Amino acid sequence: MNVKILGITLLLVGLWLFLAVQVPEGFLNGNNMFNLFLRTAMYGVLGIGVAFVIITAGIDLSIGSIVCLSGVLLSLFLSVSYDPTDREHVLEIDPQRQVIVLAEQTDRFEAGDQLRYYGSTQARSTVVTLVGVEQVVTEDDGGNSVSRSLLRVNGLNPATSKASDGFLATLFPVKGVDTEKGTVTVEGQLAGLEARDQIRFIKPSGGMEQIVVGRTESVDGNTRVSMEGDMGALDAGWLAMPLFRDQTMPIPVALLSVLGIALLLGVVHGLLVTKIHLQPFVVTLCGLLLYRGISRWLVNDRDTGYGNEYESSLSLLTNGKFELFTLGEPYGTYSIPYAFFIFILVAILAAVFLNKTIYGRYMLALGRNVEAARFSGIDTDRMTIIGYVICTVMGALGGLFFLNYSNSIAPSSHGNFFELYAIAAAVLGGCSLRGGEGSILGVVVGTALMVTLKMFINLMKISDTLEFAIIGIVILVGVVADELLKKAVARRQASKS
Amino acid sequence: MQDSDPSGERDSGGTTLLECKGIGKSFPGVRALDGVNLSLQKGQVLSLIGENGAGKSTLMKILAGVQPPDEGEILLDGKPVEIESTRAALDLGISLIHQELNLATNLSVGANVFLGREPLRGGLIDESTIKKESAKFLKMVGLDVSPDTLVGDLTIGRQQMVEIAKALSVNARVLIMDEPTSSLSQAEAENLFVVIKDLRARGVSVIYISHRLGEVKELSDHVTVMRDGENAGELSRDEVTHEAMVRLMVGRDLSEYYERKDREKGDLALEVKKLRTPVHPQHELTFSVASGEIVGIAGLVGAGRTEMLETLFGVTPALGGSIQVSGAELELDSPVSAIAAGIALAPEDRKQQGLVIDMTVRENLSLAALRRDQKKAGFLDFAKEKKISEEMITAMRVKTPNENQIIRYLSGGNQQKVVLGKWLAMKPKILLLDEPTRGIDVGAKSEIYALMEELAESGVAILYVSSEMEEILGMADRALVMHEGRITGELTREELTEENVMQLATGGEKTAA
Repeated sequence: MNVKILGITLLLVGLWLFLAVQVPEGFLNGNNMFNLFLRTAMYGVLGIGVAFVIITAGIDLSIGSIVCLSGVLLSLFLSVSYDPTDREHVLEIDPQRQVIVLAEQTDRFEAGDQLRYYGSTQARSTVVTLVGVEQVVTEDDGGNSVSRSLLRVNGLNPATSKASDGFLATLFPVKGVDTEKGTVTVEGQLAGLEARDQIRFIKPSGGMEQIVVGRTESVDGNTRVSMEGDMGALDAGWLAMPLFRDQTMPIPVALLSVLGIALLLGVVHGLLVTKIHLQPFVVTLCGLLLYRGISRWLVNDRDTGYGNEYESSLSLLTNGKFELFTLGEPYGTYSIPYAFFIFILVAILAAVFLNKTIYGRYMLALGRNVEAARFSGIDTDRMTIIGYVICTVMGALGGLFFLNYSNSIAPSSHGNFFELYAIAAAVLGGCSLRGGEGSILGVVVGTALMVTLKMFINLMKISDTLEFAIIGIVILVGVVADELLKKAVARRQASKS
Repeated sequence: MQDSDPSGERDSGGTTLLECKGIGKSFPGVRALDGVNLSLQKGQVLSLIGENGAGKSTLMKILAGVQPPDEGEILLDGKPVEIESTRAALDLGISLIHQELNLATNLSVGANVFLGREPLRGGLIDESTIKKESAKFLKMVGLDVSPDTLVGDLTIGRQQMVEIAKALSVNARVLIMDEPTSSLSQAEAENLFVVIKDLRARGVSVIYISHRLGEVKELSDHVTVMRDGENAGELSRDEVTHEAMVRLMVGRDLSEYYERKDREKGDLALEVKKLRTPVHPQHELTFSVASGEIVGIAGLVGAGRTEMLETLFGVTPALGGSIQVSGAELELDSPVSAIAAGIALAPEDRKQQGLVIDMTVRENLSLAALRRDQKKAGFLDFAKEKKISEEMITAMRVKTPNENQIIRYLSGGNQQKVVLGKWLAMKPKILLLDEPTRGIDVGAKSEIYALMEELAESGVAILYVSSEMEEILGMADRALVMHEGRITGELTREELTEENVMQLATGGEKTAA
């Protein structure tokens, strides 16, 4: 460990000791320790990413926007909708005549079926009973004759307006409810209904419950469904509308897509810097603005996220924990978030790459002197591009962490200033913006120091308006001390030779 | 500012203007200067020579007020003076022109001459006075450019003249020039010598620092030699000979300075046909080098020699023509492909292109070989790296405390040995050297020459560019001379004379041997 890292490590440990003595219950309690680990992990991957760019004598200002963009993309790629699959598209309803015209011809419905009309922008949803089906032939906009089904029904509220859109879905009467076992028996076959799908139960006199499906089995031509969750006032005579869970992409595909997009952005940054010779600051400043704008546009600037859909999978990254031990109140249980293990793994891989492979050595060399590296037969352009790719991919990993941590993200502000936290952590950890210098261990310690400083401000009840000022001072003192130290070392070295 | 004519006081010389007595200076752990004496007469050109690290630069920095001496005294006009700052030095009329010029290339010539002491009128810069005054000093140094010209648009040689004009404009009585010709062409250097002689005639005293003993001999009224921070000897005008200077500098006789041996030429290693470089696309270059042969490339600065080497090394891809190594046609689009073909280049700009000066000796020695010596999946082979670097430190006789020393703290000669070691670790078939001994002291120079001999002996084809006539005449088995992008002639060992090289280098014809 070099002197620089030793210095900030001592500062970090000193800060910890100070907090442990001054506010032991606030600082040392299990929740706070969990947060220390979690935040270090989340910001730490960003710091490690930007360290590689800084080592190649570049900079990446787009990290915060990459965090936001990948969060938005993930929530889009992993968004979930619940819809009846056996629904029919409605061409027109006429409450006066109690008639519903379907867009296409169908023989699915029989007289006596309970159906639900919904999804119209004009007419209210309503439960109807089918009286009879007729096939009609009408002309479409292009003048071609089309066969359609015309349904005569009972129960369309005559007060609703005439409408020309929406859907019609079959409803299944509930025959019985066993609250003990948590099962519901529904008349007929609910084909294809599986765990994690949902059923919307509609009370004919008004009101509804929507419950997640656990398991289904066929009993005497009927379907018995065990439900996950409270069944409320659900009773026989209600009507069941099965809702099938539709996830836009499988998790691995979504994750790989987002990482792939981040990788591409990194390649573009790198190409612009190495082939067009644009300044890294300018390239990534444009990235900062561009990705932020795209993120907001993609979701109409609305808060986005995938709620609690992935509680037992992705969300475990930041919510799941490895429990260590429990102390009495007020300290509670001590645990380490799974994200921290991923972070440590990433840090080890990064350190090995930087210090033990020729590629890391190439990056360190070209960061110091790109021309000498090129004259030594190093493909400096490719190595620089790899630096930018590592940074954006780490940004996407951070994006995954922060999305799960925040649950719902606001595309206009999510990830704001994260690039500066990452750069600050890298600089505190011994990366020089002149390039060619940096240590992964330093970045880890630097990130922990940043996170601890924020806790310090909170726990010591310092006005949080001072947060930036305090972080600024610490970084300034750090780099001044580093520069003075370097001068002293240089003098000693010079006098030796 | 004083506005007197520097040529006002003309003196026949003989009066002592500046005298240093017993100057001592220590840095932590090293005694840089120890009881150094120096005496400069009015209107005299005094050359200060010595190997790198002899203390010349430290002494000059003390005179220019960059750093104070620990002991000793400085007398100006017989009166003791304290030179506490560069400002104070200028006020006393002492001006230092650094090896690397200190000009703002984005400003005009006039603005540079008056930089830091601009004449004002009504609080604003008085441009017309700047123009008028600077034109006067430009004329004095024989520089025929408008004061409005951007300094960046001038050649290095002309920029040097701007520096001198700037020094004259502060009424300098003592002009210190640190290796002024290191980046000048022969013609520019000749012009500089005319200006220096003219300044001498005007009564300005010049302290001239150079490694080029030829020009020292031509210019000096007196030579002061330093070695290891002490005075090593004084030579008066009629005692100045090459041998005398070298003997005092290195403390021993260098009877065999260039140890050329006759070697057997091997097969053709490099064959270049109709090569066109991006800098001089209109000229086609055709030549060949055999293994075990040392071929020098002479010419003036700007003749396209460096560009040719860079094309041969794949740095700037060729526009046309063919390059064959050991008979195999090569497509050189990057140094990667050149290195794979067994070509190595020790570039002219050692600190910028040859070395990563903030990395260690070991890391620099292994930089080119890492790809070859890697373990699986790109992992570094630390054991091999250490072994190779230790071998190369020994083979190249690099003076370094250990292989983990940062390159920055090595002398120029040792840095150059590291560059060579880096390439020898690759066992090249063809070694391209661009100004291999630039800025290197005499002792290290002869070591580099010896290494070149050894390599040629072992069958390496060596192609080297040099702007030093002695080096071409002393080392080359054969020389190519370039002028404005084309090869104007080829000189066999028998034809290698100073006159022939100069003729061809300036675009003339060689005279029969």
